[in-house]
Amino acid sequence: MKKILVGNHAVSWGVMLARAEVISAYPITPQTTIVEELSVLCADGRLKAKFIPVESEHSAMACCIGASAAGVRTFTATSSQGLALMHEMLHWATGARLPIVMANVNRALGSPWNIWGEQTDSLSQRDTGWLQLYCESNQEVLDTVIQAFKIAEEIRLPVMLVLDAFFLSHTAEPVEIPEQSLADDFLPRYQPEFRLDPKEPHSFGCLTPPEYFMEFRHKIQQSMLQGKAVSERVDKEFGEAFGRKYGLIEAYRCEGADLILVTSGTIASTARVVVDALREKGRKVGMVKVRLFRPFPKEELWEVLREAEKVAVVDRNVSFGVGGIFAQELRAAFCNEKTRPPIFSYIAGLGGRDVTPQVLNDVVYQTYKRSEPEEQSVWVGMRS
Amino acid sequence: MAEQIIFKREEDMPYQPISFASMAWNKTGSWRYLRPRFDNKISLCNEGCPAGQDIEGAMVLIGKGKVLEAWELFKEENPFPGVCGRVCFHPCESSCNRKDFDEAVSINGLERFMADSASRQGRKLSPKRDKRKEKVAIIGSGPAGLTCAYHLARMGYGVTVFEALPVLGGMLRVGIPEYRLPEKVLEEEIDQILELGVKTEINVRLGEAFSLSDLGEYQAVFLALGNHRSKSLGIPGEDAEGVMSGVEFLRNVSLGKEVALGKRVAVIGGGNTAFDAARSALRLGAKPFILYRRTREEMPAFPAEIVEAEEEGIEISYLVSPIQLIAENGKVSRLACVKNRLGPADEDGRRRPVQIKGSNFFLEVDHVISAIGEDADLSALPKKVGWKENAILTDERGATKQKGVFAGGDIIQQPRTVVHAIGSGKRAAIFIDCFLKGNKWEGLFDAIRIGERGSLSIKRYLQEEKERVPFSSKTVRLKDLNLDYFDYQKRKKMPKAQIAKRLGSFEEVNLGYSEETARGEANRCFNCGVCNLCDNCYIFCPDVAIQKQGEDGPNVIDYDHCKGCGICVEECPRDALIMEEEVK
Repeated sequence: MKKILVGNHAVSWGVMLARAEVISAYPITPQTTIVEELSVLCADGRLKAKFIPVESEHSAMACCIGASAAGVRTFTATSSQGLALMHEMLHWATGARLPIVMANVNRALGSPWNIWGEQTDSLSQRDTGWLQLYCESNQEVLDTVIQAFKIAEEIRLPVMLVLDAFFLSHTAEPVEIPEQSLADDFLPRYQPEFRLDPKEPHSFGCLTPPEYFMEFRHKIQQSMLQGKAVSERVDKEFGEAFGRKYGLIEAYRCEGADLILVTSGTIASTARVVVDALREKGRKVGMVKVRLFRPFPKEELWEVLREAEKVAVVDRNVSFGVGGIFAQELRAAFCNEKTRPPIFSYIAGLGGRDVTPQVLNDVVYQTYKRSEPEEQSVWVGMRS
Repeated sequence: MAEQIIFKREEDMPYQPISFASMAWNKTGSWRYLRPRFDNKISLCNEGCPAGQDIEGAMVLIGKGKVLEAWELFKEENPFPGVCGRVCFHPCESSCNRKDFDEAVSINGLERFMADSASRQGRKLSPKRDKRKEKVAIIGSGPAGLTCAYHLARMGYGVTVFEALPVLGGMLRVGIPEYRLPEKVLEEEIDQILELGVKTEINVRLGEAFSLSDLGEYQAVFLALGNHRSKSLGIPGEDAEGVMSGVEFLRNVSLGKEVALGKRVAVIGGGNTAFDAARSALRLGAKPFILYRRTREEMPAFPAEIVEAEEEGIEISYLVSPIQLIAENGKVSRLACVKNRLGPADEDGRRRPVQIKGSNFFLEVDHVISAIGEDADLSALPKKVGWKENAILTDERGATKQKGVFAGGDIIQQPRTVVHAIGSGKRAAIFIDCFLKGNKWEGLFDAIRIGERGSLSIKRYLQEEKERVPFSSKTVRLKDLNLDYFDYQKRKKMPKAQIAKRLGSFEEVNLGYSEETARGEANRCFNCGVCNLCDNCYIFCPDVAIQKQGEDGPNVIDYDHCKGCGICVEECPRDALIMEEEVK
């Protein structure tokens, strides 16, 4: 069945198909309509879940942690300041090894106030131990929700799926809604090994002295690394079951490319158009969309980018004092490779500014023009 | 005790941090440098009750529906909960911390509820101790005398009570009218005392039927003669026909003597006797009015009585003094009065009335009842007993200057109330026991004193020294409570008989609480300073170091694991836990 859904409702319907059992959330633009729709689905019985309204995102995540520890599938959604407010709870969810799934609608953080798209919110949480999957379309959003639960429950780590404010969250697209039975076959009921149960009491997350703490952290790191293979396998199985797959990254027309653009989210859609046009003109330009950001898919990226002469990363985010975060990650990932393409870093589209084909053409033009990358990220699409 | 689990390798560890066994092996108590301790203190109501009743303890029991247990707890200290539950001026309620929060707990009403419930269920008491050979004579069967008799009988002594009137009960019987204290309530509580083996002789007045020196067979004597003599008005015409004292009037009414009253009855005075007399006269069909020389502010009568009298339509004239009684044919017919204003305060702190020149006026009267105070007639006592200004001098035990002779009630220097009389009777019983056993008494007060206001606990006295739980001398005030745990709750109102039903009848005015109301009211009690097993400490302790021991407690602290964080002390709503420095 196909439906016309905005990206936020694609999240909600994905959560319904995944049969989440506890949802706790606090409203924040541009996320609100995700949980608004979920509250409707809960209220009319289409989704048999406990919907817990709370007074803050911190409490929302705390609720999800409690519910997940009790052994049920849990979901929440947020944006920007809300995600920032959750910060300490994000670490806790990871340490407690709880497979919570969260949708984060990328939005810039204030001050000044801004409700539009930017990835700095989710990227600020990159060290919390949550897997991060960046989506490009509403269909990918719905499918990623279902995949996310499966990945999370297998490696016992929380997963954040990320979608752009307004470009996806409030934009309607046709979305194929899978049959519930198909979703049920793909994603069986969550059965954790341990759960909060008064009949079998355990203390969870109790004080752990230095002689054991590092081992618990090491286990998380191992699971996180394992998460890459698991995500890949889950995506493959999803493809077999539903006929759609996305990969950890997607290489678009990269064959024989001398310049490859690297980006994520909805900028990838614009980049496809730009790449097509440039290829038309005989330019050997390709594009790589990074879908899985944590764990970082170094090998997959290396496989595609190693042969390129230049790599240009377009970041809709900024780490002040360094620059674009995807670029920084990529440089760090490749730094031990003996011969590697130079990595050009561009910052575009902050606070919801449009990243038009013109902006991406400028990126391509500047990258061709320079023999080496600038020391700092280059800001493009600025007022001049 | 669980063993510590040791993981040798990372692979042996669970994927998530989760316990597999108790951590009790880890004695975190060694980290402690401050130590919490359960420390029951004295609630202000208990301190404020001259009869030394465990009010706080009874509130807990009533709140749980254990009404008879509550009654037994009261009866340990006081044989008259049914009486006190009706006529006590309840200093406990004026002490109640709750009065500064919303309204005091209705302790008096609950005391009555306990006693009425016990009465309905026919509860009896048994003597506490083995029979002893010593005998004690008690002179006067009022609340002081009978309380002393009760406690001595329970301790096994042979007790004989001598009473001048033909009835037992003293002022309870002949001073307080039926509508405030029904005779059957008093009789029942007196019967319970007599059932303990107390002997009585009625119609024997000291100084007429016998004298102190006739009591040689008794090893101790308790004097509780009471104040049955009215003070005279000291104005001309007082001996006219139609003039009587309040005490005499109330006694005659109580004893069922014919009392013919005219319509217009002037009652002079502002104490309880005046109000009792006026309200009794009203019930006999008269139209009484009260004349008081000062204002309502200075009136010594209980506020509730004033309100009830007003409800019943009794007119009260303030700042009026009678100056002459005028008789016609030997019978009083007019009262000459003068108006007063308030002058400076006198020695008891009340403002003194000053007559206003030229404000004289006359009132037509058929009868005059004077009720300006009573005192004791001590003429039958030998000088060596010792008294001053009509009050017998006693030491802190209630002992007079004559060896073996103790005194209590209205004839000693203490407030003239039922509950003070009861307290003095109990005190005498304790120290007569000491005296007869030849025991030292000097150090006893520290063990049995309830706070600093003179109340004593006979329950603690009767416990063996080693059985006595250490007793804190600290009282708990509102500021010591954690008020976050208490909601505002209105005091439950005591239902009263309709005013139309009260007139022309001696039916009881106050009707008592229902069981449900009583439980609700008892649960308003803060239980200041005393653990009532609310379990806040148990809930809050992060180390599960508060341990419960069944339904009736007490909760105890597991010092092996208590880290001394103090959360239990902080969260105790009623200041029943304290923090002390750890002594290593």
